[in-house]
Amino acid sequence: MNRTDGASFMNWKTMKKLTALTALALAVVSGLAHADRLEDIKKAGVLRVAAFDSNPPFGFVDPQSKQIEGLDVDYAKALADKLGVKLQLQPTNPANRVPLLVANKVDLVLANFTITPERAEQVNFSIPYFASGQQFIVKKGTLKSQEDLNGWRVGVDKGTVNEGVLRKKFPGAKVVAYDDTPFAFTALRNGNVQAITQDGPKLIGLLANVPDRDKYEVPPFTISNDLIGVGIPKGETALTEFVDKTLLELEANGQAQKIYDSWFGPQTKTPLERLYKIGDKS
Amino acid sequence: MDFTVIRDNLGYFLLGAYPDGPLGGAALTLALSVLSGLASAIIGLGLGVALTLIRGRRRLPLLAVLGFFRAIPVLMLIFWAYFLLPILFKVDVPALATVVCALSLIGGAYLAHSVHAGIRSLPEGQWAAARALGMRPGQVLRLVILPQALPIMLPSFLNQWVALIKDTSLAYVIGVGELSFVATQVSNRVMVHPTEIFLFVAVVYFVFCASLDLAAGLLARRRSRRRQVSA
Amino acid sequence: MFGELLAPQYLTWLLDGFLLTLVLSALACLFSTALGFPLCLARLSPRRLWSWPARAYLMVFRTTPLLIQLFFWYFGVTSLLPEDLVAWLNMPHEVALGPAHLEWPSFEFIAGLWGLTLYTSAFIAEEFRAGVASVRDEQRAAGLALGLKPAQVWRYVILPQALRTALPPLLGQYMNALKNSSLAMAIGLAELSYASRQVETETFKTFQAFGIATLLYIATIAVIEVIGQMLQQRKRFRRGVI
Repeated sequence: MNRTDGASFMNWKTMKKLTALTALALAVVSGLAHADRLEDIKKAGVLRVAAFDSNPPFGFVDPQSKQIEGLDVDYAKALADKLGVKLQLQPTNPANRVPLLVANKVDLVLANFTITPERAEQVNFSIPYFASGQQFIVKKGTLKSQEDLNGWRVGVDKGTVNEGVLRKKFPGAKVVAYDDTPFAFTALRNGNVQAITQDGPKLIGLLANVPDRDKYEVPPFTISNDLIGVGIPKGETALTEFVDKTLLELEANGQAQKIYDSWFGPQTKTPLERLYKIGDKS
Repeated sequence: MDFTVIRDNLGYFLLGAYPDGPLGGAALTLALSVLSGLASAIIGLGLGVALTLIRGRRRLPLLAVLGFFRAIPVLMLIFWAYFLLPILFKVDVPALATVVCALSLIGGAYLAHSVHAGIRSLPEGQWAAARALGMRPGQVLRLVILPQALPIMLPSFLNQWVALIKDTSLAYVIGVGELSFVATQVSNRVMVHPTEIFLFVAVVYFVFCASLDLAAGLLARRRSRRRQVSA
Repeated sequence: MFGELLAPQYLTWLLDGFLLTLVLSALACLFSTALGFPLCLARLSPRRLWSWPARAYLMVFRTTPLLIQLFFWYFGVTSLLPEDLVAWLNMPHEVALGPAHLEWPSFEFIAGLWGLTLYTSAFIAEEFRAGVASVRDEQRAAGLALGLKPAQVWRYVILPQALRTALPPLLGQYMNALKNSSLAMAIGLAELSYASRQVETETFKTFQAFGIATLLYIATIAVIEVIGQMLQQRKRFRRGVI
């Protein structure tokens, strides 16, 4: 169909109707053409945050409260408290994190979000609040040397940095990508992949909740060092400054340590030494 | 197999976090499918009538739009509506509305053709007779054609509804907490019982859809019997 | 997001995904037609031993979402299979077909094909059944009266007419199979939808990645539609001549 045809189909009346419809849609829908997201959040009284729902202890659905809980959620709560607004959580999988921010579906992403230069072109990042390295889970005793991975089928999450790193470091590995880490782990259990790769703390958190965790191991090597930050919509300088300032405050008043200890402290299912503090030089 | 995982999470499967949070699970699946079922019925009826009334070249854009919605995978349409519309047109549609819109547009596109076929299945004489009685085209449709054609179309409406219920499961890609989504959440948490969980979820969908399917079959049979009796 | 065109490497990813989508849905259509036909016969059988299991199969596979069926087969049933079998299925095997060597498909492909075939076959069986139902009973009676055996009545009277009626809805089911193959991305199969997400992740060119994938789907559906129209025209032509 060519252009002149199209023009004749759309007469002036439908045009007017369409314009009215668009105007209505624009009027109804909030959060568009905003000058400053921080102001918008305060005005709305709600902070919309995307968090994981299947990745303990970062973000997972608590079986008792049926709410999303975790380390990322605690930081989100602290940010909302500081703003004096309500926190609204949107569950996300790894692949949806950037689209959620770019499409203005959420104000912040706190979902084990690794800071990379490529992502930084699409979104703003806060200063890091967590550090981890990419590791593997394999069935106990199966991985003799790192080189084995080059011929293996390895499960990853769609839309993660891990996938790219794996391709670069082990070009011979056959990559199978799933929607979320537990799917990949189920595939490992079933024998469809021989290893899965993710950030170490996430893997340890995952294994801690598996009944037959003795059959698996996390080999003691990392293939990357990742810094985790808060994802913020591109160009929202005021919001970024607010998040940075709040994170530093949380570290200064000891709350960051408290959050860490409640998920990775010695008394938890996933004891892990805290090697990175907010504000450390990476 | 160990079905205690179902018993322990039954409330979450059926209602989501409700009443402490938004409604989810099977209840949300039902709500989504009722809403998109109604919307697609209205769209299908409107576009089907339009297909019948509009003639000539003006029909082409309508056919193109219907063809587009019948050709695009549901998954893709949900992506487009949720992530790409806000970027392209600065129109922000909430997740639930996205799913209802996407499903009802696709359902409506399919129904439009059924409605068109249902209207066309009536003898031409009906139109001519009604027009001869001095009715306007709108009146012919409303008073003569649709009352006869709608019962013929009812089974395809119900069948389309079954398809819609199943398609609500695709809302999981944008994090809408309907039955399939909460099921994967639970499966991801307990990790060792995927078979039991997906089997249970399949049973719930089966109950919803099979009852509609039976109703459609029953209606179709009663109609054909009545036709035989009257013939 | 718009920017310059996708790098060739990413176009290759999309193309590979598209080919996989085509192969997956073509095989699924082939197998589900082969399975759907006997299913339809069993469903129509006067013997309950045949018709009831077929009835149950059709009901179960038509009324549960394909996504859940795929999850069930890939994540659920695999966990119940013997470990050795899964390991064997996952290992690459050489399939020699005369001089041609076929690559052993990935396990995700096998599971996706299995799930999509079982699902589609139920719908295809119903389309066949509707086609058979459209042939009036009098036709069958007339065939028998002409001294044809019941099998011959099926072969020469009922099937040709039933298939003619069933062709358009059958093509509709093939289109559905193509669209439904996009769900296999949830079980890690690198088909077109998966490839578009992958490209989006790497390049952040959301619009291009999804745009190209959507266009490929729509173009393929359009091709099937055109083939269907051509077949029907030819059929009408043939019917007019004979």
